Amino acid sequence: MIGSHLLSVLLAAGDTAHASDHGHHSAHFPVALPTEGLGYAGLVLALPLIAMILNGVYAISGVRSKLPAWTTVACLGTAFAVVLNLYLKADIEHPVVVPLFEWINLSWGTGAISAPFGLYLDSLTLLWMLFVTGLGTLIALYASEYMESDVGPAYCRFFGGVSIFLLAMGCLVMGDNLLTLYLGWEGVGFASYMLIGYHFTKPSAVAAAKKAFIVNRIGDLGLALGIYLTWLHFGTLEYSKLFEMLQADGAMAAAQQAMAGGWEVAIIPFLLMAGAFGKSAQLPFYIWLPDAMEGPTPVSALIHAATMVTAGVYLLVRTFPMLELHPAAAPTVAWVGGATALLAATIGMAQYDIKRVMAYSTVSQLGYMFMGVGVLSTFGAAAHVFTHAFFKAVLFLTCGAIMHGFAGQLDLRVLRGLRHVKGWRIVVWTMFYASLCLAGFPIISSGYWSKDVILAEAFANGRPILGGIGLLTAGLTAYYTFRVWFRVCCGPKPDDHDLAKMMGDDHHGDDHHDEGHGEEDHHHHMPHAPKWAVNLVLSVISLAAIGSILLVPEHGWLEHMVAKSSGAGGVGANHHDLPADAGFWADPHGWMKYVASTVGLLGMAVAAWLHLFNRSAADRLRATLLASPLKAVVRAMENKWYVDELYNALIRMPLKIKGHALHMLDRYVLDILVVDGLGRLPKMIGRTLSPLQNGVLQSYAASMAGGVILIALLILVLPMLLDLLGGAA
Amino acid sequence: MVDRLDGLVPEMMLLALAVVVAVLGLSKASSIRRMVPLLTAGGLFVAAWLAWGGKDLPPESAGFLAPSLAASLRSMIAGVGGVLALVASGTVDRRLEHDVESGRMPFEPLRASRGEFYAFMLLSITGAMLVASASDLIWLFLALELTSLPTYVMVVMGRAGRRGAEASVKYFFLGAMATAMFLYGFALVYGGTGSMQLADIAEIVASRRNLEGLDMVTTAGFLLALLGVGYKLAAAPLHLYAMDVYEGASASVTAFLGFVPKAAGTIAFMVLLQTAGGESLPAMVVTLIWMLAVLTMSLGNMAALQQTNAKRLFGGSSIAHSGYLLIGLLAGPGEGWAATTFYLLVYGLMNTGVFAVLAALERRGSEVEQVSDLGALRHRHPALGWSLVACSGSLMGFPPLLGFVAKVWLFLAAVQSGHIALVVIAAINSAAGAWYYLRMMGMPLLGAEPSEPVEAAPSPWPARAAMAIGVLLLVVPFFADDLMVQTREAAAAAVMVLGS
Repeated sequence: MIGSHLLSVLLAAGDTAHASDHGHHSAHFPVALPTEGLGYAGLVLALPLIAMILNGVYAISGVRSKLPAWTTVACLGTAFAVVLNLYLKADIEHPVVVPLFEWINLSWGTGAISAPFGLYLDSLTLLWMLFVTGLGTLIALYASEYMESDVGPAYCRFFGGVSIFLLAMGCLVMGDNLLTLYLGWEGVGFASYMLIGYHFTKPSAVAAAKKAFIVNRIGDLGLALGIYLTWLHFGTLEYSKLFEMLQADGAMAAAQQAMAGGWEVAIIPFLLMAGAFGKSAQLPFYIWLPDAMEGPTPVSALIHAATMVTAGVYLLVRTFPMLELHPAAAPTVAWVGGATALLAATIGMAQYDIKRVMAYSTVSQLGYMFMGVGVLSTFGAAAHVFTHAFFKAVLFLTCGAIMHGFAGQLDLRVLRGLRHVKGWRIVVWTMFYASLCLAGFPIISSGYWSKDVILAEAFANGRPILGGIGLLTAGLTAYYTFRVWFRVCCGPKPDDHDLAKMMGDDHHGDDHHDEGHGEEDHHHHMPHAPKWAVNLVLSVISLAAIGSILLVPEHGWLEHMVAKSSGAGGVGANHHDLPADAGFWADPHGWMKYVASTVGLLGMAVAAWLHLFNRSAADRLRATLLASPLKAVVRAMENKWYVDELYNALIRMPLKIKGHALHMLDRYVLDILVVDGLGRLPKMIGRTLSPLQNGVLQSYAASMAGGVILIALLILVLPMLLDLLGGAA
Repeated sequence: MVDRLDGLVPEMMLLALAVVVAVLGLSKASSIRRMVPLLTAGGLFVAAWLAWGGKDLPPESAGFLAPSLAASLRSMIAGVGGVLALVASGTVDRRLEHDVESGRMPFEPLRASRGEFYAFMLLSITGAMLVASASDLIWLFLALELTSLPTYVMVVMGRAGRRGAEASVKYFFLGAMATAMFLYGFALVYGGTGSMQLADIAEIVASRRNLEGLDMVTTAGFLLALLGVGYKLAAAPLHLYAMDVYEGASASVTAFLGFVPKAAGTIAFMVLLQTAGGESLPAMVVTLIWMLAVLTMSLGNMAALQQTNAKRLFGGSSIAHSGYLLIGLLAGPGEGWAATTFYLLVYGLMNTGVFAVLAALERRGSEVEQVSDLGALRHRHPALGWSLVACSGSLMGFPPLLGFVAKVWLFLAAVQSGHIALVVIAAINSAAGAWYYLRMMGMPLLGAEPSEPVEAAPSPWPARAAMAIGVLLLVVPFFADDLMVQTREAAAAAVMVLGS
């Protein structure tokens, strides 16, 4: 005991040089104990399950009304109420484990694997579940109107998919061990696949669904291996036991574990990371997310912007103590996040499809979150997840409303002047506020507060280059966000002729043609404004986005929530005791507010110049750039840096060639030689063994007796022969 | 000797029931005749319950196998036997009953064979249960014969006409040959050790192996006995009859043949292996079972791959499953046999389920056999279609169906006992088997509807049994832990008894 204490002191003494890297080691958080009495938490999983089953029943019994939507909204709303009740009732200071039932329990000889199905309720779980169920309910309500042209079996399928998603997301977030998390992880992957491919008769939707699923599988393989190695080394997958082990011996526990386990342990954080990068669309896996916009817009808002894609961040915050198993793990996360943020932002700048711009901005914002985890600010990451969930949901839902109203039109070169069209006020102004948030407008936008934490921590953690990338990205983000808003909502007032043209068939490179609107739209060729459900949901989520401002600032509610969870190691980690006379620039937390605001406002100003005041200047600028030596960059940005093409050449083509080669091998070598050969073999044996064609019984008897004699001889005589040979030698 | 009777209450009850059933089957009232299958099934379920109570029998009332293990085996046989009786309802006397009902002719006891059929069924099941209580070689031999002899007759009774007769004759003659083989083996064992009592033989074998090594006569005896009993299991090379006989018999009888003799054979293997050394078997016996397992599963799967006849296909599958059972037997008492017992039970259910689906269907009064006949079964008979999917999937080991749980346990037990190569071969075989199981899963779901539609058979019981089994296969995995714990406890108790 004393020895180990001494050891840790000695190691700590030798480590002062890297104090800034290891400052978070000292953070302790309470480890959960099993408890009774909160069993009703299982309702959070049971309610979506009920909704799923009911939707299935509706589909079979041919319900042709909005009943599926109301059922789903009711179930998810109740689930939200249960989460809220849990939040009010549960003791946030002390996480609890709620055992539900025994799921897997296998033992053999000395080994055993057990995975109880239990819920891990701590502040992080509740934080995530609050916005997941809350947004789930609201977006289901929005979808009740958005999907109304599909009422019938497809409507049931849609809401069934949403219920499956909420069920799986509940497993992922609330499970008390990594195996349950994995179950949910695959579950949300399936729900995502199912909903992206909702228009399954449309080849591009099917291709997008497959792409999302396959790319995710690669990351999931990493996660599966990570979980396996965790089990192998630690002997358990339950969070409470894992965390206990990782902080058992004070500061050095993780490092000691890593030393004891060799590379198999050191690789665990990287494998978990691979899973997180796949699900959260980071480099090199991000390519699936933009295509996932083929799904109906409520799905994009709920799954591919607000909730599912933050599962990767959740995983890393949840297993934050395990990131310390290798010193390079956290920096890797930070750099991947930063690189993704910048890359996606540059692509987003050059897209014309507003939903695609939002998709790239999601990838980019997720990059910020990972940067936050990587610079050891789990608080920043979680805060950004939380604020982003609301304002990005609003952005997608407004895009969806526009697309719904304008017969699938999403091209920002075509849309304009929405501000002046009757009935679109709520859409326009909620979109405006959400754009402010995404752009990081000072003080009154929630995104400003959460993004600042991450950027400041990047500088405080001694990663100024990363912080610089983050700042640059913030500027680009502000630009492309307001590019969309100025283009779509501002500009000259469109008359009826212009509106009809926007609805017209001259779409430029967009393939959302036939989504979410009925046939009758084509007849009167006028946009229809959203109705009460859409407007209500947009207003409520926008209010939530405004409200989230109050929760984000330092020492606020959100920081408290993260500090009491397994992500505690990344809360306030980099607040160093600065000397009182340190200058203004010594504390990044101080100056970041001003710098980030300036950068954001600069981006908005550029957008305003190019897209509000000089609406033709953008095209001229593009033409000028294309004539200049910079044209390669512009083309590359418009073509998404050719990453899809690169993957196609490097991965898909070789696999295709290999597939064709194997097919040839199978068809011309294996089939002819082995399969047909084997097929003939029994016949040939049969022919040799039974010369009497009508004496089946006798031949069977002969074969049986022959076989028995052969085996008996083999067993009895062979050892003797071997003995003899051995003796002779 | 009177003590022994305490442990045989369920068997005695079944023998009495066999007589009752044989008489009731001749009753003039058709309602009573119709009750016969249900009565048989009810009796078997009661026997299963009684046999389960035999776990705590004192050693003097038990046979050579420990009472805890024997009780779970006997109870399992009777339980699955009850389901088999339900599946067989409507198999026998169909034309006669039809004629009587339509008033074309009066009921003639001389033409009726229903009572005898169920009596034979009960006798055969009793025989299989008695194998588990065997205490000497004679008992073992008689019990095995009691299991087999009625089945020869059942094959011919279950299906009027040439095909049933041909299958029956084939089955009988080859069976007689196999019997001769293991009887010769028993004789050699007796000659080598000088005792008929299994306990004595086990003691002599153990002491001899400790001193100078086991003599050639006894070893050869064990080898021959095991090979001969392999016929009951349809283990290679004595598996050749299986597919022909399974095809020739009616579906419900095939279901019976796929389980009861196989269970008897498996238990006889346990008895013989226990005698030959239990946990530390002689090297030659290990080699023999290893070879049998590999040959059986490989040949079974290969044979099933090319079949277009559903009964032949599942015949091949049944052979392959015997190979898996042999792996469990080789894994040794304790975990291995616990897994084997569980697997046997699960296999019995899945196999019965598959043939129950076939028994529940007909076309113009004759059986449905071709794989293609089952195409798009889901549309016309959804419950049967899905049951077939569940049973085939379970046979394949498709998670989370019960067959998967059983297979995983079996393979884990084998790995634990060090037979890794065997498990690898078995895994390859499982993968190869997936090819035809998937075909059987796909056929009712996606296959093309046959040109001539299939209809439901008159008796509702096969369909009900198939549905119940389908549901069980899907639901029980969630409670499989309890079952596995029970089985494992029984096996552990058995090992303890042997150790003392």
